[in-house]
This record gives sequence, C-alpha cells and structure tokens, in this order.
Amino acid sequence: MSKKSRSKLWFLVHSWLALPIWFFVLIVCVTGTLAVVSQEIVWLANPQMRASAPSDDAQRLSYDQILAEIKKAEPRTQVQSINRPDESHFALDVDVSYPDGRSLTVYVNPYTGVIQGTAPNFNFKAFTRALHGWWLVPFTNGFSWGWYLVSFLGLPMLASLVTGLVVYKRFWKGFFRPTLRFNHGARIFWGDFHRLSGIWSIWFIAVISITGTWFLIQALLSDNQISISSEPIIPAMSREAVPISSDGAPPPRISLDRAIEIARSKIPGLEASFISLPGNAYAHLDIGGRGWYPLMYQTATLNPYSGEVAASRLLSDRTSLEFVTESMRPLHTGDFGGLWIKLIWFFFGLLLSMMVLSGLLIWTKRTALATANALKREHKKQRVKAQPALRGEPSEVSP
Amino acid sequence: MSKSTTVAQPSRLSVIWHKWRFHINVLLLLIPLGFMPRYFADAALFRGDSGLGEREIGEIQVGPWSLRLAELRDEAPRSDGPAGYLKGFNAALCDACIEPVKATYLRIGKPRSLRAAGSIFFGTPYRMGIQLPVPEKTKADADLWITMEGWDGSLHQASIPLSQASPATVAWLNKQGAKP
Repeated sequence: MSKKSRSKLWFLVHSWLALPIWFFVLIVCVTGTLAVVSQEIVWLANPQMRASAPSDDAQRLSYDQILAEIKKAEPRTQVQSINRPDESHFALDVDVSYPDGRSLTVYVNPYTGVIQGTAPNFNFKAFTRALHGWWLVPFTNGFSWGWYLVSFLGLPMLASLVTGLVVYKRFWKGFFRPTLRFNHGARIFWGDFHRLSGIWSIWFIAVISITGTWFLIQALLSDNQISISSEPIIPAMSREAVPISSDGAPPPRISLDRAIEIARSKIPGLEASFISLPGNAYAHLDIGGRGWYPLMYQTATLNPYSGEVAASRLLSDRTSLEFVTESMRPLHTGDFGGLWIKLIWFFFGLLLSMMVLSGLLIWTKRTALATANALKREHKKQRVKAQPALRGEPSEVSP
Repeated sequence: MSKSTTVAQPSRLSVIWHKWRFHINVLLLLIPLGFMPRYFADAALFRGDSGLGEREIGEIQVGPWSLRLAELRDEAPRSDGPAGYLKGFNAALCDACIEPVKATYLRIGKPRSLRAAGSIFFGTPYRMGIQLPVPEKTKADADLWITMEGWDGSLHQASIPLSQASPATVAWLNKQGAKP
C-alpha cells in the first residue's frame, strides 16, 4: 500500500469513528461540559446557596453550633449529613429529613447558621450528571444500559485522538506555527480550527477518553461481581457497643466537635469537610475530607457514643491500583482543585464539543463541494456514464 | 465516505439515505426524552414528595407503638447479583415512638430472637428505608414481621401477611414456584 493511500485509509477511519454518531457524541460532550460547572451554575441561579465571609476575620461556626442553630430554627428537623463544599463562597449543604417525610438538602450559612433556603425541586446538577452519565436510563439491575452506551464512547474517542494525530502529519509543528485562517472560507476555517484545537486538547481528550473507558470497565467489573477494592466492610456496631438506657431515653452521643477532635488526634491530617450522622442506633458516625492527594477522600468511622474509632480509610490504605482507579472519576469531572480546575475542564469541554461540530462541518462542506464539482463536470462533459457520486478529501491529509 | 458508484439515476431512496444517513443518530435523543418522566418521578419519590413510597401499606400497631409502612416501589424484588433478591420498604415512626424506639427491624417469617430480628431500618424516624432480602423459595403465604426495640430493652412485634405488604412480591413468588 502506498504512503498516500495508507494515510487516506487512516483518514477514513478517523472520519468514521464519530461521523455516524456525531449528534450523540456532541450531546454527551455538551452535557459533560455543563456537568463540570453544574454546581457553579446552581450557585449563580440560587442566591440562597451563596455564603461569603461577612468580614476577613470571620470565623466559621463549628459543626455543633450549626446543628444547634438548625435545632433552634426548626426543632423537629433531623439532620442526616453536613457537607462543606470546596469553594468558600458556598453555603453548607445539609441533608435533612422533615416530619412530613421529605428528605431535602438545605443551604446553611457557615458563619451564622441561618437556613438560607432549600435546594430547588429541579436538581440541575443531578440531572446533567444523569443525562451525561447514563442517558437517563434507570439502574434496575446492576449498571444501566445507558451507562454502557455513554461510557463505550471512550473507545472511539481514544481512537479518534490516535488516528487524528496519525493523519495530521508532523502535528507538533502546529504548536509553533498555529494556523487559523479566517479569510479562506468556512471549510478552511473549520479545518484549521479542528486541527488547532485538536493538538492543544491532546492531553484533555486522552484524560477524558481513558477515564471514560474506565467507567466502562468499572461497570463490566461490577456487573460480573469482580471486586478490586481493598476496603473492608465495616460491620454494624455490636449490641454491647451501644449503651443501655434505663429510663428509656436515647443515651447521649459525643458532640461532633469532640468526634472530629478524636478522629484528628488518631489520624493526623484528616480533614473534616463532611460529616455523616448515624443512620440508626447501631450505625457509626463518618467524618471525612480530602487528603494531601486532592483526588481522594479520607474517612474515619466512629462509635458515636464512646468516640472509639472503629475504622478509617486513608490514602495509605489504598493499593497502588486503587490510587489509579479512584483517581479516574475526579480526573474525568475536574473536581479536585477548586474553581480554576473546573473552569479549565469546562473550557476544554467546550473545545471538544466544538471539535465534534467542526469535524462534521468539514465533512459536510467537503462532501457538498465534491458533489457540486462532480455535477459541474457532468454538465460540462454532457456524458452519461458511471460516475463517482461522492469523491473527496483532496488535501485534507496534510495541513 | 462511501464509494458507492451510482449508475444512471440514483433512486430517490438512496439519495435520501445518502443525505441523512449521518443524522439518523439524532434519534438516540429519544432515549433520554422517553426516560425523562420516569427520572423525575424517581427524583420525587426519593425526595419524599410523592409520599413514603409508591404503595402505602398503612399504619401498623406494634405493641404500644406504631409505624407507617410503604413499599418503596410497587414491584417484585430486584436482583442484586450474588446477594439474591431485595425488596425495598420505607417506614415512618409514630410521633410518640421517636424518642423511645431504638431500632426497627423487618423479616420474612417469625424471628426466633432479637439477634435474628432481620434487617434493620436506616434513616430518620420520619422516613427510613430497608432493602429486605427475599429468598426465592419464600412461601407465598409467609408473613412479614416487624420488630421494634426500645431504648429500655423492651421488644414488641407484629406481623402482616406478605400478600398485604407486597402483592407484587407474592405474585413474583407464585411465578417462581411455577419454575421447576
């Protein structure tokens, strides 16, 4: 096979990877891009979710003070968990249960303890994630088939990256001589755009497609009952570990601040950005937060009556395989280093969405052009004979 | 890129096909559109906006206490891989039992002791849930037993027929029984 026809073949493979499913890929890219900043979009839309420090030296209330403020404002409301978002201009997310049986997230000001409002009925964050992650197909038996449908896209995306670089000869030159020609028509512009954004997105496309493929592998492992987790299952507390109460009232539990203090004395460096209160009398209290490696969380599990640390899950407890696999999700979502990382992910997500569109535009423009040329020739020659209907890509293989 | 060589006039159908073949995948959008009502119904169910569960069983007296029981979904138990089949129930405690009740358990068949009281409810007294294992050989006329344990050590039990607790489960069991 000649060099030319070989690159033509690679080009063909590159086009066919996304072309027949371009719209599906586009919507998955767009919803993924939105999902990256979904929390921030909700923040913009809902003032009750915002909580900036009233002054530079303002102190956040402790978790016990937060609980006390909620109790004061709504004595019958039961708190299930408290979560402090990474970004400091967010209110606390507190999951609560109301006497009427509703379970909601309420936004609580970390400086005053005021319940600023409840999460809106339409959960934009969950919705974009569900649409992006599993195409809204419900999970009824193991992973949803929508999950497989979406995560499978990691493979053609990875192949698109590789074939794109093969087709784009000496692509590294594009870094030094960026080309984006505006005055040569749409076809040239979109071709330049596709190549230019492609080379600057190499790292991002690699990250998204590899982590996306991991989601496929994760579902396959889980649905075939293969576990690679080294995390032990923590049994419920024994009857002896729960105090007996002679007067029939629930025995006192240690305060949240005391629990955090105990956990931190046992586990140096443990962050307490979320607290999950016991789900019943025999359940533990969980405290957790990010460790020095921002892609993973560390948690401590405590007996809420005695404060004894029943279990902990630290960075050092993970196997090296788990370091890789547990990093996959934050790498995919860009949720590991605050707003700036998310904005970078958002920008490259937009670029990736535009690459799907520009790829399609290149194809349709070329095809339309080739068809028009073919028709013109046909008219000129006034000959009726077998005619290639679609012919294309004259100079596409080299920039 | 199709190398289709069309001799003479291409048929209308093949023109349409060539023009639209790469846009058929737009129809994949029908999948999330179709599932959207179910998505929002589920979201409302888990928020508790549409009640305790899909099907309320009613208030059940357990000694001096009582609780409201509901099927999370009005359907047969779901397979959970090697763990077998699980059936979701939700419950809410009576106002007077929030303080004195330490734990609430559910089991198919009468528990022989507190240690075998069954699965324990998780959640708050206003809304707690359970994923109850339902063995495939369960008899269709079995009873669902509720055990409530007080902080003072007292125990109270009550039972309702499975057919009352979950007709869908009984229908599923009857179908299982038909299998060899």
